[in-house]
Amino acid sequence: MKKAFLISLSLGLAALSSAHAAPPRQPRAPGIESPGYVWEAQSEEEALLLKMKGDVARGKIAYQGCQGCHKPDASGLPDGTYPQLAGQHITVLIKQLSDVREGRRDNPKMFPFAGKHVVDTQEVADIAAFLSSLPPPGHNDKGPGSDLARGKALYEQDCVSCHGGRGEGNAGKFYPVTAGQHYRYLVRQIVAIRDGSRRNANPKMVRVVKDYSTSDIGAVADYMSRMSLPAEK
Amino acid sequence: MNRPVLTILALSSACTALAAPPVAGDAKKGAAIATQVCFACHGADGNGITPPNPDYPKLAAKQPEYLLKQLKDFKAGKRKNDIMAGMVASLSPDDMANLALHFASQKNKAGVVNSPELLDSGKKFYSDGNPGLGVPACAGCHQPDGGGTSAYPHLAGQHAGYVYQQLKRFASGERDNDRGLVMQSLALRMTEQEMKAVSEYISSLK
Repeated sequence: MKKAFLISLSLGLAALSSAHAAPPRQPRAPGIESPGYVWEAQSEEEALLLKMKGDVARGKIAYQGCQGCHKPDASGLPDGTYPQLAGQHITVLIKQLSDVREGRRDNPKMFPFAGKHVVDTQEVADIAAFLSSLPPPGHNDKGPGSDLARGKALYEQDCVSCHGGRGEGNAGKFYPVTAGQHYRYLVRQIVAIRDGSRRNANPKMVRVVKDYSTSDIGAVADYMSRMSLPAEK
Repeated sequence: MNRPVLTILALSSACTALAAPPVAGDAKKGAAIATQVCFACHGADGNGITPPNPDYPKLAAKQPEYLLKQLKDFKAGKRKNDIMAGMVASLSPDDMANLALHFASQKNKAGVVNSPELLDSGKKFYSDGNPGLGVPACAGCHQPDGGGTSAYPHLAGQHAGYVYQQLKRFASGERDNDRGLVMQSLALRMTEQEMKAVSEYISSLK
């Protein structure tokens, strides 16, 4: 308690000091490693965001600060460094951005450009509305295609009940659209969820993939990367 | 216990809204001040002096919102520069708005490229950033042609020496008047070579 107070005091002083300010570091909030972790618990800001109405036109302007990495069409990078975001559910974008802003999803590279010090609450709502309105670019990274039958079998056994027959996810349950996502991004995230480094993971999904080998993950991600949703979403 | 800190964070986030209000004033009145005060360093046409001096940036064709913010920041000491602090000391808020509109209305001239061999790598960095280190592409905010937007300044044709110097100052924290210290965050992830190359490329943009 005392330590926490000193840390927040020094953060507060750093924010007030004008000489040689340093960019804020991403906070660290309890995640899946902590007892009592509730996957879909909502912070005050997240609950507010989910009720707000984002504005697509304003979101396009606010997104200027994001497109240096995620690209103007929000297609990200095929090597999976940056995910494809076009057409993603608003709820998923809000939850994941909130988790980065509040430190349940560790991403020190992204935080300086997405934290509360630089993107305000209304802008998050607007950016989510804008991204969700974009058509999926449809040129995502695909896997080698060598193990699609196993990928399909795994998907139908373990994934379809949440992520849907077409990879459409479930907006109401915060399950992402996975159709059209980059293969290498899917692999990286499923591995991180399996291994616990994605601390905002859904424990249900961790249980599903905990015994997956890396080649199982490759097979299912390859199959998923080949799904596509109609553009008129 | 954490309340005061939360309040500070909430206040600071409320201050970061992207869109600055449009600048209202009279460019002609600004021109009258510029010919008395600014021309010796920034040039009568707003394109700096010849040969380019890294301490005296081009101001022509920059967004008036950006120019006004810099003038206000010099005056408030948020952007620290001894020469500029002296220059803005006697300027009123109206003078600064008029000057911003004056320089914004001037025509940007082509920049000087000193190291053409750096242009290819500079262009690549400007267009792609460095994904491995999470450095965004400059083009994302400042636009592929360097023209900027209502929220991000025009860069095209700026003196390479000035761009390089500012990147160094962002990295060291000496310049910290940008929104959310975003420029500092990314400049800290850039190498010397990347800063030099991207500065040359920016000066080549028209």
